Amino acid sequence: MSSPASTSPSESTVSKDLATPRWLEPFALLGPAGIWLGLMLVIPALLIFELSLVPGIRPGEVVNPSGLENYFQIFREDVYRQVVWRSLGFALGTTAICLALGFPVAYFIAQMVPKKWRNLVLVGFVLPLWTSSLLRSYAWITILRPTGVLNSFLTSLGLPALDILNRPPAVFIGMSYSLLPYMVLILYASLEKLDRRLLEAAADLGANPLQSFWKVTVPQSLPGIAAGCLLVFITGLGDFIDPELLGGASSMTMARLIYNQFLGVTRNWGFGSALSMMIVLAVSLAIALLLKYGDRSSANL
Amino acid sequence: MSSRFVSRYSRRQFLKTSLAALSSTSLAGCGWTLAEVRSDRPQTSNSNELRIYTWSNYIDETLLKEFTAQTGVRVIADTYDSNDVMLATFQAGKGVAYSVVYPSDYAIAKMLDLKLLAALDKSRISGLENILGKFQNSIYDPGNRHHVPVSWGTTGLIYNSEKLNPAPEDWDYLWQNRNTLSRKMTLLSEPREVLGASLRAQGFSYNTTNPAELRKAYEKLADLKPAIATFTTDAWRDQLLAGDLLLAMGYSIDGVLVAQENPNMKYVVPKSGSSLWTDAMVIPKTAPNPEAAYAWINYMLQPAVAAQVTERLFFATPNQAAFDQLSTDLRDNQALFPPDSVVERCENLKPLPQKSEELIEKYWTKLTSS
Repeated sequence: MSSPASTSPSESTVSKDLATPRWLEPFALLGPAGIWLGLMLVIPALLIFELSLVPGIRPGEVVNPSGLENYFQIFREDVYRQVVWRSLGFALGTTAICLALGFPVAYFIAQMVPKKWRNLVLVGFVLPLWTSSLLRSYAWITILRPTGVLNSFLTSLGLPALDILNRPPAVFIGMSYSLLPYMVLILYASLEKLDRRLLEAAADLGANPLQSFWKVTVPQSLPGIAAGCLLVFITGLGDFIDPELLGGASSMTMARLIYNQFLGVTRNWGFGSALSMMIVLAVSLAIALLLKYGDRSSANL
Repeated sequence: MSSRFVSRYSRRQFLKTSLAALSSTSLAGCGWTLAEVRSDRPQTSNSNELRIYTWSNYIDETLLKEFTAQTGVRVIADTYDSNDVMLATFQAGKGVAYSVVYPSDYAIAKMLDLKLLAALDKSRISGLENILGKFQNSIYDPGNRHHVPVSWGTTGLIYNSEKLNPAPEDWDYLWQNRNTLSRKMTLLSEPREVLGASLRAQGFSYNTTNPAELRKAYEKLADLKPAIATFTTDAWRDQLLAGDLLLAMGYSIDGVLVAQENPNMKYVVPKSGSSLWTDAMVIPKTAPNPEAAYAWINYMLQPAVAAQVTERLFFATPNQAAFDQLSTDLRDNQALFPPDSVVERCENLKPLPQKSEELIEKYWTKLTSS
């Protein structure tokens, strides 16, 4: 292997002295993570892909990939399309709610909280993540049920009670609550680096606060917004517990459908794998779009 | 390639056969068996350790500790909350760790089908004669050659007797009183139980394989659906006790537990019949420690132990000698020990052919997604 032209002379003498090939260093450093990724991510994903090509395979049967029948099944039947749309709806809605609620909070922590308190406030915000998600969902049942905490509070104020539990709003509430900390953390990281001089310049040049927010703050934090939305969307797409416990009788999502294929009555692992691959595909597509258009808009700055 | 070979095989023929050979080896290469539970695994387990896989209702610290005190064997118990989860994780490779598993009836049949269960050596088990006659010969496992029943019960309705008047007596009640019950009732999150209830309400069998009957069952449920709050096996308890729900479909074992907390909660087996279940202990072929497994089964069969566990955890024992030791209160508890007239109207869930299972799964997805 020839050494690249940019290598400085001192570096090349060092590597000559040690007598190790140049490719060894990155190989040794990246190797463990690479092996980990290969064994735990790439190979399992390939196995799932292989399973998705076997129509109706159950545990104990021989795997003989034979076609795309499992994928056709997803689109042939209205039920499954409905499930796909509902999952996307829950994930997108949650992303929007998290962004709307998370941005002000992240802005507040990054720009207005005194530096010495910042970490404490952040930790306080992330703390709920340490409890089990199952526990959090059960807590929301207690809060949202017809005679629960929320409705007792509302009726004590003379307001009408809300019947939200076992309906889609409850799912949005539960999922947003679970995923908000991720959004805030990522937005915080990007808003912390906000260049205040640009805001001051905008104000000097006569922009009102709203204009400077849309024209200066938002474009600067766009990569953070995109990353936060993506993370929330992906996690939301795979959420299993909130739709199951809070969503009521019509809350079948992709994640639950996959669960039912693997652990339910039919144990149709082939169809379950095809559904999993669809989610992987949707997520990959979202990331690809982000890489393509996310970069362009930040380059416009 | 020699010319003689070519002369005997035309090129096309050669291509064909070699392609066939190639594809068959490559298929054999990637044609691995999905989640095979191997039974030829060497038994290397520590003889002082027993791993059991069971429902969470059936064990507590006291039980495990007393067993260790009696036998010196340490027990590690893992729990599951549905037969299908148990079976899937068992087959996915977790199964080889366990020496005793607690499947329910149709899961026993499935495990037998998959040849996962060891035939029990009855000479090593004592106390089997105490098991009631009606549990001595299961339809899933003729002659009980592979399992020992440990608990039984029914599926039914748990309701708030203060608020529901007249009280529910049959499945029909759900449809007739859907306005009162609207969004105040839950059904189980078990496809076969829920579709079965609807089948039974129309006079069909829980175990029908007739697509037309299954379709009618689905349609009747779809009709009721707007009134159903949710499908859940567990999350209804607090809401029922708090008065937010008026009725929940559940297992007798849960009905009894809820009634213990609030006597206004009553459990009823619908008049037209419901499903009857038994949970049993089995020893997998792959059991790492059969010695300890037999010790555990013998321990659970001791009348005193079975009686104490029933008093503590409220599940119905099929053990007559243990039943005789129970307090009168518990013995007269009709939810826990329904009279024979009720039991006769109930059905066991039989394993169904794959076609019917797929149909049920499809209706279930429809029901929970539209």
